[in-house]
Amino acid sequence: MLRHLPPLLALLAAALLPALGASPYVLGIGITACIFTVGAASLNLIYGYAGLLSFAHLAFWGIGGYCTALGAVSLGIGFWGGLALAGLLNAALAVLVGIPALRLNRHSFVIVTLSFSLLTALVARDWVAVTGGPLGIPGLPAPELFGLSLRSPPRFYWLALAFAALSLALLRAVTTSRIGRTLKALRQNEPLAQAQGIAPTPYKLLAFAISAALCGMAGGMQVFYMQVVDPLILDFYYFQTFLVMMIVGGAGHFWAVVIAGIVMTVLPELLRATAELRMVIYGALLLFAMVAMPGGVAGALESWRDARRRATAERPDPVTAAAS
Amino acid sequence: MTQERAIDPVYAAQLTLNGLLLGLLYALIVSGLALLFGVLGIINFAHGEFLMAGAYLMAFALPVLGLAYLPSLLLAMLGVALLGCLAHALFLRRLREDEFERSILMTTGLSILLLNAVQYALTATPLLVDTQFGFDGIDLGGINITWTRIAAAAAAILALLLLWLCLTRTQLGRAMRAIAQNREAAMMVGIRPEAVARNAVILATALCGLAGAALAPIQLVQPSMGQFLIFKAFALVIIGGLGSIPGAAIAAVLLGLLESWIGGFFDAVWQEVVVFVAMMLVLLLRPDGLFGAPRMRAG
Amino acid sequence: MNGAPLLRLEGVRKSFRGVHAVTDASFAVARGSITGLIGPNGSGKSTTIDCLSGFQRPDAGRVLLDGQDITGLPAHLVARAGLRRSFQQVRLFDALSLRDNLMQAAQAADGVGWLGAVLRSPALRRAELAAAERAWLLLDQIGLTRLAESPAGALSYGQKKLAALAAALMPRPRLVVLDEPMAGVNPSRIVEVEAILRRLNAAGETFLIVEHNVDCIMRLCHEVVVFEQGRTLTSGPPAMVRDDPRVLEAYLGVPAAA
Repeated sequence: MLRHLPPLLALLAAALLPALGASPYVLGIGITACIFTVGAASLNLIYGYAGLLSFAHLAFWGIGGYCTALGAVSLGIGFWGGLALAGLLNAALAVLVGIPALRLNRHSFVIVTLSFSLLTALVARDWVAVTGGPLGIPGLPAPELFGLSLRSPPRFYWLALAFAALSLALLRAVTTSRIGRTLKALRQNEPLAQAQGIAPTPYKLLAFAISAALCGMAGGMQVFYMQVVDPLILDFYYFQTFLVMMIVGGAGHFWAVVIAGIVMTVLPELLRATAELRMVIYGALLLFAMVAMPGGVAGALESWRDARRRATAERPDPVTAAAS
Repeated sequence: MTQERAIDPVYAAQLTLNGLLLGLLYALIVSGLALLFGVLGIINFAHGEFLMAGAYLMAFALPVLGLAYLPSLLLAMLGVALLGCLAHALFLRRLREDEFERSILMTTGLSILLLNAVQYALTATPLLVDTQFGFDGIDLGGINITWTRIAAAAAAILALLLLWLCLTRTQLGRAMRAIAQNREAAMMVGIRPEAVARNAVILATALCGLAGAALAPIQLVQPSMGQFLIFKAFALVIIGGLGSIPGAAIAAVLLGLLESWIGGFFDAVWQEVVVFVAMMLVLLLRPDGLFGAPRMRAG
Repeated sequence: MNGAPLLRLEGVRKSFRGVHAVTDASFAVARGSITGLIGPNGSGKSTTIDCLSGFQRPDAGRVLLDGQDITGLPAHLVARAGLRRSFQQVRLFDALSLRDNLMQAAQAADGVGWLGAVLRSPALRRAELAAAERAWLLLDQIGLTRLAESPAGALSYGQKKLAALAAALMPRPRLVVLDEPMAGVNPSRIVEVEAILRRLNAAGETFLIVEHNVDCIMRLCHEVVVFEQGRTLTSGPPAMVRDDPRVLEAYLGVPAAA
């Protein structure tokens, strides 16, 4: 149980933030950090673990936003029903998109998922009857819990925090289970995994579906935070932000991506960076990571540690080891 | 969109000419993308930003050079090629052949950086670019074509012709095709992949810069102008048969025409959907040949 | 070593774009045996292995594992039927530890599903405990216990070959197919690998071994199958195969007088 202690303490500290008199501005940053971290962590499951670069997450994020909003506004199932529907719908869409996208190879996966996002953006803008077109659906109601409105900054912050904690706990449970190990194994050596009785496609689809569901629900949280959903939710800015958080933190490293998600939301605010400047920095960071440390910060730390360990450890003689 | 416009031959001819020009500019963009995929095995997500850079260089060069069209065009093209050369030396050079995801992430980083740097430095306000031609044009029996469009079309045709000659008749073209077809064999006969890759990047970005520069006086110049085109360009590269330069170029011209006609007679949304529908059809009808062996075909 | 054969191939045929890689592979592997598969380069050994392990789909013929028809099944189902293979170019999950490589190898055979894996069901814990025990046993048998926590990528080539062997044995398969287990192993140490294989065989494992090193096959195997130009030339005990003039001819390319 001891290994659960640091994250639980961090969660407790975060939950106390409103009680410590944090301003609505600070809580707003906290809300964004919670939502974006889930976005980055969901991307990490499909790319960091399964090795599939999905551009469909922009679509999942946007569809999740529209779906949650429509659930509350048009379908009469409220915020919670909408959020659950967003998760289910995105998981189903992930399987539907994933089957043809995985049929060929990594190249086609990128192209098919990218096309899916672009088509989704077109639909959001042009299917006016459902999505409200360019104007979107404004004035989303406040989420309610037992008749209690969650609009005020502290309450929405707690909602976002609970959402992030549950989502990350689920992702953690999956990635530390042998499903996570199998995904890494498939990425490293698919034929070997097959020779050991693992069917690759179901595992990839599972990762894609979980990842899509969580990213979509994060999108639902985002639009209720903004109180409006419009085609801007499908701006590439969101996807690029998740992508940079994941890569810079270290794809395939769970906590590194979570920390990167928080730090990279908070730091630009501290620096009072404008949106453009923040993206300039993100772009430069992504480029730098791809040039100098493809494994992100966590990967760089790991290889540094391995190099040190290797320098100190004696190299065992392979053959005596084999013979003994 | 009224009935008498739909059957008006002058209107149809106007649409055709506009579409042809648009298609030729698309062709410049996608032949560069196809070249990069063939020789380097990468999909360049920053291609749209090279286009945007070309347009901005054109917009800045024109006033300095007294609105002279051709010198500004060449300057912009050279500037973008230089930028491409730099991108290769700093970034693309480091990619190994099997690092497909890394190439996408790297060029995505470049794209984010360039787009937002321009937006940060120059704001997102669109620029209206004036040339020596102003808004003059010629009138062909009711069809009005501005000189900037004629010049753009002429430049595009010339550049595509030169590209074709380069690929089929020169040492460099042969080396690029050799690398695209069989890297090991090409290295064994003494071709240096890195030098060829650099030249391919210069060539591809020059074409892209030319397209951006030619587009500048026709469209509004703004930081996001490349983003609108780049995804369409990816689809075109797939439709043309991944890595096939003539295939992509022909698909590009056809798409330009199709878009122009559809835009002239139907809702604007169909104009954007058509390229994806075409791509999905190609992916469904001949999926295996597309991604299996990245080969570059020049003729 | 009696009773019905564990593995039987009947007239397996495979061609690639009109080139006949295998025209008639027909042989059997007896339960509890070490069976060797030899033949000159390009005689279709590797394609045959790919066909019987589900990595290639045979154009014709049948593959029977313990009486069950596994012809044309995809690789993961062949593995679940109880046939495990190693690869000529040694394959491991380089970033996983040696222990995790072995645990991973056993996973598909223990019948615990996704939900059980995420919720850490009691069945999962039992299965993992059993797998961990077996992993220690096998690591001990190949002498790599102290490297259990090292990433597999950090092992030497010889160690990797042994680790791949241990991984193949993890789920207690009915049959282990080894594709050139001696290739790349230091010649002076081949005898030691042979000893490991013999010990495992004595403990009940059945092996089918494809190998270039004919001497090694002759020492190790109970039964040797010889391939030539995509078909089974002959099979029998090593002594008989060694004296078969057709085998010499296949290897030397000339009719042998001796």
